[in-house]
Amino acid sequence: MLPLSDILIWSLAGVLFGSLISWIPGFHIFNIMALLVAVFGVGELMPVQAFPFFAIGAIVAYAYVSAISSVYFSVADESAVFLLFPTQRYLLLGRGHEAVLLYLIGAVAGTLILVIGALFIFPKVLPPIYQATSPYITYFLTAIVLFMFMSEWPKEGDRGKTPFQRLWMAWRQILGGLLVFLLSGILGFIVMNTNLLPTTSAYTRLTPMFIGFFGMSWVLLNILSNPPMLEQVPDDRIESSPYNIAKASFGGALGGTIAAVYPIITGGMGALIAGHMTSQRGDDAFIISQGVNRVIYYVGAFTLLFLPNLRLTRGAAAWLVSSIYTPKSYSEYLAAVGVILLSAGISFVFTYYISKFLARGFNIVHIRKLSYFVAITLVIISYVLTGPMGIVVLLVSTAIGMMAAAFNTRRSYCLGGLILPVLISMTGHTGEVMHLLGLG
Amino acid sequence: MRGFTHYISGLAAATFFPALVADLRMGILIPVIAAAAAYFPDFVDFKFGKFFSRRDYEIDPAPWDDKKHYAPKLVKVAELNEKNRYQFFAVQGKVSEIVERGEDTLVFKMVDENGNVKTVEKPYKSIIFKLTDETGTITVEAFGEDYEFFEEEFGEIAFGKEMLVFGYVDVDDDGIKLVVSDAPHPQGIAETIAKAIEEAYEKGETIVKIHNIRLPGDVYRRFFIHLDPPKREVRVEMGPIVTPGGVAIGGEVPDYRRVGIAKVSVPFIKTYPKPTRVDSFSGPEIAFRKAEFKGKTVVKDRFLPWHHGFSHSLTMGIIIGIVVFAFFKLIGYAHATELALAAMIGQWLHVFEDQLGFMGSNLLPPITKDVIPGFKLGESGSGLTNFSTAWLMIAFMIWNFNRFTDPRPIPIADWKLLLLLAWPSIIGFAIAIVKSFRLRKEISQLMDYYTNLEAFEEMEEVGGI
Repeated sequence: MLPLSDILIWSLAGVLFGSLISWIPGFHIFNIMALLVAVFGVGELMPVQAFPFFAIGAIVAYAYVSAISSVYFSVADESAVFLLFPTQRYLLLGRGHEAVLLYLIGAVAGTLILVIGALFIFPKVLPPIYQATSPYITYFLTAIVLFMFMSEWPKEGDRGKTPFQRLWMAWRQILGGLLVFLLSGILGFIVMNTNLLPTTSAYTRLTPMFIGFFGMSWVLLNILSNPPMLEQVPDDRIESSPYNIAKASFGGALGGTIAAVYPIITGGMGALIAGHMTSQRGDDAFIISQGVNRVIYYVGAFTLLFLPNLRLTRGAAAWLVSSIYTPKSYSEYLAAVGVILLSAGISFVFTYYISKFLARGFNIVHIRKLSYFVAITLVIISYVLTGPMGIVVLLVSTAIGMMAAAFNTRRSYCLGGLILPVLISMTGHTGEVMHLLGLG
Repeated sequence: MRGFTHYISGLAAATFFPALVADLRMGILIPVIAAAAAYFPDFVDFKFGKFFSRRDYEIDPAPWDDKKHYAPKLVKVAELNEKNRYQFFAVQGKVSEIVERGEDTLVFKMVDENGNVKTVEKPYKSIIFKLTDETGTITVEAFGEDYEFFEEEFGEIAFGKEMLVFGYVDVDDDGIKLVVSDAPHPQGIAETIAKAIEEAYEKGETIVKIHNIRLPGDVYRRFFIHLDPPKREVRVEMGPIVTPGGVAIGGEVPDYRRVGIAKVSVPFIKTYPKPTRVDSFSGPEIAFRKAEFKGKTVVKDRFLPWHHGFSHSLTMGIIIGIVVFAFFKLIGYAHATELALAAMIGQWLHVFEDQLGFMGSNLLPPITKDVIPGFKLGESGSGLTNFSTAWLMIAFMIWNFNRFTDPRPIPIADWKLLLLLAWPSIIGFAIAIVKSFRLRKEISQLMDYYTNLEAFEEMEEVGGI
């Protein structure tokens, strides 16, 4: 194991790195880490044993600081053609800073729950539960996907003149979601199972697809909707209650844990399950639970890599890091828990002051200009990581991401890009689908 | 219960059958059908039944703009008529005449914190002018707090000024007019519901669809519908603007157009002791049905009449079991019997879980004809009962996976493992049961109030019962 001073230095470097890029819309820490490895490599400037600690610092920072981009840089225009996220509504009401504060409350709660869980619960409880349930992961995954479709709430249909008109208005949204899932799935299947992208991009082949689904489509919506830059209130004031905070923390922790432990199940899917299980309602509760969920999902999943009696590789960052160095001892696990606490404290301060700064000068640089800059950067990242075909994948996935918004369905249907090919592979049908698509 | 609670119950039901668990272990995912069957009743109701439900009265306080999908709808003057009374619209036009500027004394009714209605008089500034577009001319009236807001927004209203006016339509001796406001007037909703109750007393049943009020920015104007049987009135109260998450973000309406009250000439009772709240997602349907109550003929309300009907019956569970068995036997699935039983049990669990709440279900049609009231353990949205149930189902799944695997991944006694896994649910249910006693007492007191027979007797003199 590295000396403690080195662990501290490298984890602080990770926090700094993560904080610097995580506030930019469309940037995901996993992509940037992949870019870092692809361009600079690990082992020359940074010792391989330090990479997990650098990564954990960066991921904690991302879990905190990315609140800035989801609150301030995902603004919607007043026409509200599409449904808004609670954070967007807060921003439209000039309460962006309040949304960040609510998120931070959740993130701190998530960090504490994670640290307590990592120290006292995970090592004892997780291995036997995981062993008993892991053969049935495909069952859970299929069940969650089916539930996503069955539970899609029709947002329109009430005002049709005839029953059939009402039915069609409701079902075009549901069918739109299904279409987005299938198209994403086909794209994901092609990306994962063909030589469309160069073999040198083994660890980053999904990156342009995810940038398109969730990053580029978001940035393009910012450009197209040309949102108003409203005056924000920078006061440290929130409207919530201890009961809501406790309930949201519990729900967020539940969803985050499910997503962290089981493969392919993402934070959003975990939140959907936990939200139903704990019957959550209220924008404040939603934002707080998002904070808890994201910390436990991103950081918790990565922490499992350190747990010696389980050593699960969950998430792109864990796969990337484990390909270079996998921590092996309990002392490394304990050091990781300490790094989480330290990184969380620093990230909290970063997020708070960035939010305060942005709230004061929110209308100085128009988000449209920032979005152009980000769009170009995302194209460059995709090109560097995956070459010219990566740009093609980026374009297609961006179109699919935009379709989800146009149909007013869940953006999470784009996860079909990951879920469908994995499901096909887990059930042993990859060959048949390849044949069906004329690919083999 | 929430959808996922039902769904996970179906997932758990399948794990009680060793043959299905063995299939799952081999990657055969067919048993997920049991979860779909458990969710099926809500799926049918909310994705199909809802849209085919009859609507005798359709109340749309604020019709949507066709392009923007929110209110107020931008209309031409000629499109408005008396049928639009109290509805919320926007009209673009030019001021063609200032009819009157002055001060009025407004007289209006408002409800205090204790629910008592009182009459209030207030002096207010007002303006009346004519607004003209290419299709015609309409009188526009602004008074009180609305006038102040209106002047703040547009400056002084003068001849020739081009403006977009939004407000509710009203009718007087001179015809229709537009009253400047930021919400529809609740009187229209109250009057239509009252009319529907009276018609139900004559005809047997009426169904009312009430639309919600969606405003720009994906926010909603909340309103409450109070059915007050002892006073024999329908009271509708306009509330604040809220987000889809239910957070109020201001926009309270002035007192003088906050409440709409309509008297009902026939006796009615309310089966659920809380006002109906309408805000985000979609508005409710309420059926009013003629029924016997303590020897009197009354009208009884039923929330979402298309919900908890045949789809939520044990009979439907049997049908689902038969269909699943027939289909999977036909395609040669080796464990069609187990799957059919799991699907039936999943659907039955849904019915049972809903029976724990308020609405109840028609349990065994055609033997039973009407809804059998729920056990009132908690509301359908209760986090406590939802979590306790869902957690219990997760516990069952882990327990079953463990006992049907050889060697057992968790090598402890079955009862001990189940207890270790299920204790959060046991505690949750215990709390819910204790709370339900309090809730039942409260409901019983409120029902006494709502079904105050003395009030019914008094009304006999004026032609009630």
